[in-house]
Amino acid sequence: MRSELKLTVERREQILARLRAVVVRQLQYRREADELDPDAPLFGSGFGLDSLDAVEIVVCLETDFGVRLSEHELLRGSMRSLNMLIDFVLSHGDPKRVAAE
Amino acid sequence: MEIRNVSPQSEAAAVVASPALAAEVRRIRESVAYSECEHVSAVRLSGPGAFAVVDAVCPRELYVQDGQMLHTLLLDAAARPLADLQLCAEGDDFLLLVEGLDTEQLRGYLREWAPGAGQLSFTDLSPSHRHVSLNGPYAWELLSELLGPELIGLPYLGFYHGPGFSCFRSGKTGEYGYELWLERGSAASFIERLLEVGREFDLGAASLAALDVCALENWFFNARREGRAGLSPIELQLQWRISYQKSYPGSARLAELRRSGPRRRAVLLASERELRDGERLCFEGEPVGEVVRAEHSCTRGDTLAIALLSLPYAHPGLGPLDAAGGARAAVISAPAVNNRSLYVDPQRHSYRTRQEQRFPALTERVG
Repeated sequence: MRSELKLTVERREQILARLRAVVVRQLQYRREADELDPDAPLFGSGFGLDSLDAVEIVVCLETDFGVRLSEHELLRGSMRSLNMLIDFVLSHGDPKRVAAE
Repeated sequence: MEIRNVSPQSEAAAVVASPALAAEVRRIRESVAYSECEHVSAVRLSGPGAFAVVDAVCPRELYVQDGQMLHTLLLDAAARPLADLQLCAEGDDFLLLVEGLDTEQLRGYLREWAPGAGQLSFTDLSPSHRHVSLNGPYAWELLSELLGPELIGLPYLGFYHGPGFSCFRSGKTGEYGYELWLERGSAASFIERLLEVGREFDLGAASLAALDVCALENWFFNARREGRAGLSPIELQLQWRISYQKSYPGSARLAELRRSGPRRRAVLLASERELRDGERLCFEGEPVGEVVRAEHSCTRGDTLAIALLSLPYAHPGLGPLDAAGGARAAVISAPAVNNRSLYVDPQRHSYRTRQEQRFPALTERVG
């Protein structure tokens, strides 16, 4: 695999691990992190998160990844799955905070 | 489906849906569509011990309250999905809405896996009911004009019974979805009224093929398609529908698969050219997986596929993947469409004033 693609995959996996930890620890979703599939729906069916959980996720994106408040309107279409959240973080987050372990 | 060669240099063809199928999908995505649902079986299990029987085969913790639905699967001993199951709690009884097994297959499955199933009353609802569904960003509005405004308050995965009908809020298209089980004696007049009220909503029919396209666009599991590929819920990214904390058909095999660690994952693939079921996929010349199921996405205008890829390659952004037929594809995040139902608010919007509203494009992706 080319090195830039390998880097992209590693970065996605790091963000996935951080988002899974948010869902398990902060949202108290009673599952192990490896059970949270990256394309599973976050709301409705799937993980069954609700509007309060959505607020928690927005706060996390802001504090942990540096996503700005003005971009929240875009979030509705992005909070569908962990993979979509990763896409959003990569395109709208603060690169330094996104890269932080 | 018509196949049109766009580029004579490319071996793979660009696929365009038939205009009729595209119109059906557009109805589901933009207004309301009506579908006959003969592909779903419905059974009522009643009698003492119904909970124990359902719990024995349900791969999720059976936490479901009266009037609520639980979305899960039925698995075989090898942990392969046999059916998509929606369990509906109705007092001490359960309604089972099943896609992938017919009623007799379901009866056999319960008898094989749930002690006591033979003592329960097992009522097939299909002979006495007609099953239709309404899907679309304005399905709630049409149905509330027919059944009353309280319908708007029906939560997702909730249901209720009315005179001559049962209404389930679910759906597998990513839009507002309602399944209606209509008593056959009054079904014809109900449908007649539905079509009459539906005129103002440009209500039209949508076939099973259109529902299947929408399900793929929204990454809803299809028990009749990828469900027949012999994959586990871990590979299919369906772990939310199972539990590792209880015993059920396939649970031992699932625990084993989880312990050994997954090697492959089903992901969503997009291509501007045609992809075919079973086609091998390579990345930089190395084989990395295969197409499980491919369809033309009428909403996006490209081909979408579920592909099974080796885990290191199963990430959005990875591409181009070379398909054996010459098409190039890339992994994308699910779902593949920006559903209008995300933005249509029953408190503020109406189909009649839709021209005054501005909604994001169905294909808009912010990532």
